[in-house]
Amino acid sequence: MVNVFAVPVFFICFRECLETSIIVSVLLSFLKQTLGPERDPVVYKKLVKQVWLGVAAGLFIVIVIGAGMIGAFYGIGKDTFANTEYIWEGVFGLVATIIISLMGAALLRVSKLQDKWRVKLAKALEAKDSKSVVPANGRFKRWAEKYAMFLLPFVTVLREGLEAVIFIGGVGLGLPATAFPIAVICGLLAGGAVGFVIYKGGNRTSLQIFLIVSTCFLYLVAAGLFSKAIWFFEQNKWNHIIGGDAAETGSGPGSYDIRDSVWHVNCCNPEINGGGGWGIFNSLFGWQNSATYGSVLSYNLYWICVIIGFGLMGYKEKNGHYPFRKASTKVEDERRNSSSQGSGVLSEQIADKRAEAVGAGTNVREVRESPA
Amino acid sequence: MALSLSSFINPIAALLLFILHVNAATVTYDFDIGWVYANPDGMANRPVIGINGKWPIPIIAADIGDRIIVNAKNSLGNESTSLHFHGLYQNGTNHMDGPVGVTQCGIAPGSSFTYNFTIDQPGTYWYHSHSRGQYPDGLRGAVIIHDPDSPLKNMYDEEIIVTFSDWYHDLMNGLLEGFIKYSNPTGAEPVPKSALVNETQNLTISMEPGKTYLFRMINVGAFAAQYVWFEGHTMQIVEVDGIYTEPEDADMIYITAAQRYAVLITAKNETDTNYAFMGSMDEDLFDTVPATLNPNVTGWLVYDDKKDLPAAAPIDSFDPFDDFALIPQDKEKLFDKVDYSFTLDLKMDNLGDGANYAFFNDITYVSPKVPTLYSVLTTGDNATNPLVYGDHTNSFVLGHNQVVEIVLNNNDPGKHPFHLHGHAFQVVVRSDDEAGNYDPTAPPDMPKTPMRRDTILVRPDGHIVLRFRADNPGVWLFHCHIEWHVSSGLIATMVEAPLILQDTLTLPADHLAACKAADMPTAGNAAGNTINVLDLKGQPLPPPRLPSGFTARGIVALVFSVIAAFLGLATISWYGAAPLSKEEEAKLKRDIQAGEPQ
Repeated sequence: MVNVFAVPVFFICFRECLETSIIVSVLLSFLKQTLGPERDPVVYKKLVKQVWLGVAAGLFIVIVIGAGMIGAFYGIGKDTFANTEYIWEGVFGLVATIIISLMGAALLRVSKLQDKWRVKLAKALEAKDSKSVVPANGRFKRWAEKYAMFLLPFVTVLREGLEAVIFIGGVGLGLPATAFPIAVICGLLAGGAVGFVIYKGGNRTSLQIFLIVSTCFLYLVAAGLFSKAIWFFEQNKWNHIIGGDAAETGSGPGSYDIRDSVWHVNCCNPEINGGGGWGIFNSLFGWQNSATYGSVLSYNLYWICVIIGFGLMGYKEKNGHYPFRKASTKVEDERRNSSSQGSGVLSEQIADKRAEAVGAGTNVREVRESPA
Repeated sequence: MALSLSSFINPIAALLLFILHVNAATVTYDFDIGWVYANPDGMANRPVIGINGKWPIPIIAADIGDRIIVNAKNSLGNESTSLHFHGLYQNGTNHMDGPVGVTQCGIAPGSSFTYNFTIDQPGTYWYHSHSRGQYPDGLRGAVIIHDPDSPLKNMYDEEIIVTFSDWYHDLMNGLLEGFIKYSNPTGAEPVPKSALVNETQNLTISMEPGKTYLFRMINVGAFAAQYVWFEGHTMQIVEVDGIYTEPEDADMIYITAAQRYAVLITAKNETDTNYAFMGSMDEDLFDTVPATLNPNVTGWLVYDDKKDLPAAAPIDSFDPFDDFALIPQDKEKLFDKVDYSFTLDLKMDNLGDGANYAFFNDITYVSPKVPTLYSVLTTGDNATNPLVYGDHTNSFVLGHNQVVEIVLNNNDPGKHPFHLHGHAFQVVVRSDDEAGNYDPTAPPDMPKTPMRRDTILVRPDGHIVLRFRADNPGVWLFHCHIEWHVSSGLIATMVEAPLILQDTLTLPADHLAACKAADMPTAGNAAGNTINVLDLKGQPLPPPRLPSGFTARGIVALVFSVIAAFLGLATISWYGAAPLSKEEEAKLKRDIQAGEPQ
């Protein structure tokens, strides 16, 4: 089951697709409100077409790049990992944990994107209106403004798509190729569907709940991956001690190091024959039929870090500074510095992308950095 | 190494032995057991256990009716020891049988111990240490009992003794430590480094044209069974484990650890070629076969020592003689009325220390505090209660002259050679591989005159049924003769006619002294308890069982993990559900207002 459906991959696709579809839906509803089919049907149709063309072009490029990357990875990679499989699986698990942990928080804030994008869009159009006033800004800028309705979705799709490709590459390093297709398709469909519901005027609260639930799942997966990564390192050590692959001894005695065992049941092994239901249990919640001190401690430690991290972010959002620190002048400095940055659509997108990749903690700053 | 044949039998000696037999001679051996160095396979010079400063150790030879006295002095310095005379019934002298913790205490370094018993059985036997995994370090040798009235006496001209064995380059103590350890959870036995014949390799045996030779072959190895064949010659099996058989021709035989075969081989009339003979270790027994291992040992039947010794020809497959088909020469009938039958289910499993152990009926043998024979002699009427021998000795109390049936189900994918002390048993059923457990409600046809021997192979996941008459009061072990499995507990104890033992047996002073030197009690039950012999408190115990499933530790860990996860999820939800901060919202509003066109 895990071999045909990679849960983290699903969530990544879902998240990126949702983000893209929210932006596209904001664009479309914006066009509908400002131009509308009844006010200027020709221009409206042209612009809507631009939007969809942008989406299609972005998607195409992403698919080409993504397929190439994954193909190359599976072409080169597999055999070189065979001997040190457990170490690689552990490293991949750690990488995946870090990626999910950092991007997960951002997912919680997707609902704010609507507002943010409305602002951006307005600015872009405003700039378009006043282009006769500032003609000296170069041909590129003028071209960009003219095709804003193409470029915005194109760049968005490209950006989110490449992000997804990189994340999936990172998260899925240890997974078989068969685990991807269904997870990717499901993620895209679910993201698209939710985006559509939002476009059709779905209410904010249910979206928020939805996002919270999916983020929670994402962190459950990450906690499990972290614990599993430690478990893989320990299992690698055990394999060296017994001079073979412990998995060959099945789930029974000898498949684990008794000295490190916290619990062991001779069933429910998530590693053997795909693991069945236990495999899903493993990828969702990090289940192990043979838990070690390392795997249990790392699991709990991960959650403690998450609790502290979110606690701090929440505290800062509420109070403007971290606990035990005064509302520092640093924030003011930051605001001043960032206000000097260019306000063009592209440059803002770059800043935006950077901020988002770093995580939710920076969302606060991101809002601030927009010039008043 | 050429074998000097004349040293075993020549007409004068035969005559002399015959006279001695009539006069019931006493054959005395003074053995000073100590470490020497040897390099039998040319690959590693290592310490081995020799006798009187020499290794290989002497052959013990005697006639039926003789008294054998072995004065054993332990000069090893760092290990205690004992001697077991494998296959000798020791009827009336159970305390001379040799296994430590069963019929005696180990002979402590510096101590001496006398084995003194008479022989009433002919044939091919061997002696070896029966102290924790010790004999593969070299303390193993042939015991040959000649029989002036042998049915074979006119059938051969000369006798040749050939031992086969596997060989390790490391001392058993170290190997055993690594074998019974958490880091060997599958119980993979150490793989031998080479095979030996007569404790050497490339042995040559001179053959004279037209003569017939009696080859007495003994596997004195620790672990590996060997396929044995002689190129260009047919073996005629005439004795197995001391039991004369109806002659049967065989091209290849399979000798497990501790088994013996005596075969007649008639020399060719021509002397133009020399012939190779081979011992080849059964690699099925080995967990992994190293690429560097040569499982074969080659020797030659030399007709002309000026001619070449041809290399052995490769063979396509091993197709050994099935010993189950043999018929004892005395035609002893099948014991068809069984008085006492019990089943031993063999399995390998891991205990709480993570190491792999061997079990009969879920019990792995742990040596009791008091040698079992000494418990028999000191527990009065309670000696008929198996409880006094401890919970971990697999003790069965047999009534005198009962016909006893042992059903052994091998629930393990390995081959095991089983040996019973004090008896040769009838092998009434032996299954093929993978036959599963014996079904006593539907027994197969049993041979009318079953093959008898004292060591028998049970096949992987198969079964055997053995029968014998309990006519030998004593404490007799029944165990796998793979030395690794002896150490991991594949042992059961037969306590035969204990009350008769109490009446007939008196322990010599040096036996009790050996226990005193080793600081071991000589009275009471398995726990050394002499007051209430049914109270086993303090008996030696195996490691605890592996915890099955969740222990308190596991439950606590799981509960903590679940709580941590829920708290984490709660924090995420709290953060995600929190409204935008005032500052954020104000900014957004401003931005929207500023950005909104018109």
